Amino acid sequence: MPDNQGLIRERLGVLGLGTRREEEIVRELSEHLADHAAALEARGVARDAAARHALDSVSNWPEFREEILSAETEETTMNYRTKVLWLPALCALTLSNVLLALMQIFGPLPHFHWLGAGKSMEPFYMFGVPWLISQPLVGAVAAYWSRRAGGAVRHQLLAALAPAIALLCLFVLVIPFSIILDKHVPYHIRLSAYLVFTVTWVLLPAVPLLIGAAPFLRKPQAQS
Amino acid sequence: MIGIDTKIKRGSGELAILALLDHEPLHGYEISKRIAQQTGGVLQFNLASLYPLLYRMEKRGWVKGKWEEAQNGRKRRYYHLTRNGKKQLAPLREEWGMFFQALHRIAGVAHAG
Repeated sequence: MPDNQGLIRERLGVLGLGTRREEEIVRELSEHLADHAAALEARGVARDAAARHALDSVSNWPEFREEILSAETEETTMNYRTKVLWLPALCALTLSNVLLALMQIFGPLPHFHWLGAGKSMEPFYMFGVPWLISQPLVGAVAAYWSRRAGGAVRHQLLAALAPAIALLCLFVLVIPFSIILDKHVPYHIRLSAYLVFTVTWVLLPAVPLLIGAAPFLRKPQAQS
Repeated sequence: MIGIDTKIKRGSGELAILALLDHEPLHGYEISKRIAQQTGGVLQFNLASLYPLLYRMEKRGWVKGKWEEAQNGRKRRYYHLTRNGKKQLAPLREEWGMFFQALHRIAGVAHAG
């Protein structure tokens, strides 16, 4: 039996993919050649001729080498979830916050409405109507990006809702923990104010984000 | 037999491999053998055309290769379809279906599907 591994190494040369991966590739290709030669032998071809014919099935070894290198170096930097969820979600979160910051700088300022007598500790709600109007754009961009990257409908939804989900985490996790752990956070935050803020900063923005995402929520396109 | 252009072969090869692995994990030689058998020899993959395709699909997370013992006792690298690969199968089928329909409309090319 010919030393297929040696013959393959000789033809491919060093690939620069690391010893372990290169050994794996050479071993796998060698097994393929052995199977091919065995199939030819079973059809009556002499052993040596079968081995030679199997090896000659690759007409251009330098090109084969380049093809392997090209395949091995493709998309190593980003995994599937990063492409379909984390990047579109981060984009939505950034875009949403940039729009909020711009509106706070250039106006109009968010609308305040006191639920009680207007004292400093009374609950109030605050939201910026222009910011809410801009949120469908954010939802649309995130859902479209996720779908283009091959994300499922749930990835598209999560990416589009990322700004609302981030604020939900802030209200549900960060603020209660801060009240317990940080002495500078006032412990007398009223439950009604807390709930009103959750509604106005989580549920309310989620609606325009969903409206913007809705036209893009479809099955993913196949990747090329 | 008419040869298939390399780019068409590569694109259709991805679909063929995903469809085969959807049934059971296979090693490289078995994949090439089954593609040739099931397409009546129209699509044929040899060492040079099959493995770059498999490695590319593995990098994309569509398939995962694992060394396992074959029936003859030899260790072979079996390719398993991943969850991500399963997700690619339906849209790829749809795309190729649309491609053949379009060709059929413009040039009267019929497809088996």
